[in-house]
Amino acid sequence: MIELKNVTKSYEINKNNIVVALNDVSMKIGEGELVVLRGASGSGKSSVLSLIAALSKPTTGEVIVDTKQISKLPDNFASEYRRDNIGFVFQKYNLITTLSVKENILLPLVPLNPDPDDADEKLTRVMEMFKISHKKDAIIKNLSGGEQQRVAIARANVNEPKIIIADEPTANLDEKLSLHFIEMLKELKKLNKTIVIATHDPLFFGLDIVDREIEMHNGAII
Amino acid sequence: MILTPEVLAIFILNTIFAFFGIIAFYLSVKIYLNWDLSSTSKAQYRLEKQSYLAATIIKFIFIIKVPLFLFFVFTLDKISNVLTGAMCGAGVVDATDTGTALFVLKIINLYIFAYWIALHNEDVKHEKQPFLKQKFAFFIIAFFLFMAELVIEGVMFGSIEIDKMVSCCGTLYSSTSTSAISSIFALDTSLLLYMFYGIFLLIVVFYFLKNKYLFAISNALFVPISLITLIVFFGTYIYELPSHHCPFCFLQSDYYFVGYLIYTLLFLGTFYGLVVGFVESKKEDKLKSYKMSLIFNSLYVILLTSFVMIYFIRNGVWL
Repeated sequence: MIELKNVTKSYEINKNNIVVALNDVSMKIGEGELVVLRGASGSGKSSVLSLIAALSKPTTGEVIVDTKQISKLPDNFASEYRRDNIGFVFQKYNLITTLSVKENILLPLVPLNPDPDDADEKLTRVMEMFKISHKKDAIIKNLSGGEQQRVAIARANVNEPKIIIADEPTANLDEKLSLHFIEMLKELKKLNKTIVIATHDPLFFGLDIVDREIEMHNGAII
Repeated sequence: MILTPEVLAIFILNTIFAFFGIIAFYLSVKIYLNWDLSSTSKAQYRLEKQSYLAATIIKFIFIIKVPLFLFFVFTLDKISNVLTGAMCGAGVVDATDTGTALFVLKIINLYIFAYWIALHNEDVKHEKQPFLKQKFAFFIIAFFLFMAELVIEGVMFGSIEIDKMVSCCGTLYSSTSTSAISSIFALDTSLLLYMFYGIFLLIVVFYFLKNKYLFAISNALFVPISLITLIVFFGTYIYELPSHHCPFCFLQSDYYFVGYLIYTLLFLGTFYGLVVGFVESKKEDKLKSYKMSLIFNSLYVILLTSFVMIYFIRNGVWL
């Protein structure tokens, strides 16, 4: 489903300072797989995620998702691809703290201008799935870290994306909340979502729901 | 040389346009020569990023240049207040050797810029950007006309001498004048009117037949015929003076700036008409262009005809 072919990603700060984030990386991730990208900071995990999400383009090589070469998509089509296929879970949640739970979860649907009944049905479904219905009208800044994480995951799923991308999702959580997050991942796995997590949290290593761990170091797969 | 605030604004904008235009030209040449969408090389990915930059620069230059034509006309009109003998923009255009050439070039560029924008808008609707090379190749050619316009514009404003007496529009647009413009008055007015309404009728017929090439050609023909008919016939009814034919005076406040409306309607109507024939697009987009062209051209014809009809109803005679 997801394939990276000989991908190189470098960031040119100036002519004498080029940072190579990924160096000739190739990998395949199957549909419904839960893959953990592990490695120290700067190993290239987040670069892989941003390429899969079409947030950036490789310097060389190909990124293919469902036979579509997403690394060649023009910007407006890359936005459509993200909207239709990707659910993001960020380290710092990236919620709008002055809006309510409901408003935050519905944000990804705004560009689609959905029928209100349809949007309401989707909202109810994800809120129940991630057990946040009781906080529907609460303002984000009044929620605990764990609750904010639930809202972030609900928001990532409201579009029913095929791929969930999580970048250090437990970095801001204590162990108890991290275990809650792993429980939520199990729910997503049941829905046959393809999940790619970049983390250096040892909690994820050796987990039964994880299909594969890919170790990265200095922009390469070990 | 004349340096009013309006001329200074045009000079400053032209300098900015030239600077960014040269960058876009350099990138366009690179893209045109090296583009290979199937490649996943570093050079191609770099070109893809540069194509966004170049397209953005060109788009914004042209989006500003199109309405700036009206500002240019407005500036000519304003300058006429300080030129001895000039009553409107016509006197300013005639004040230098380059004025008429600049005006014609500006009209040509107006359609070229608008065409590029239409081509670009169509191109970015497709994942594979099928018109990408075409639009940059077109810009490479357009760039020279664009730069020529900037240079001639500088030369024109630079060579206007305030203390020199110029001709007024009454002299320039008269059948007794010896200027090149005066030759149009030798044309038979009835024949011109048959051509004007005849071509408009063809536009309507080809709209219903949905023949894109004939529709576009009719629109292309409609531009010069409309301008000539406007000068020779309709202008006199706008001014309600049988001897006044100036295509600039009705841009002034005395005529409620109606000239801006007249020229904008003609430009929009014929531009959409040309888009139908020269830009490949989806059926619904093409139908939209057909419709827009017909609406604007119809409004143009109705507006001009109304001046004649209102005059006749009021006075019971033709001019």
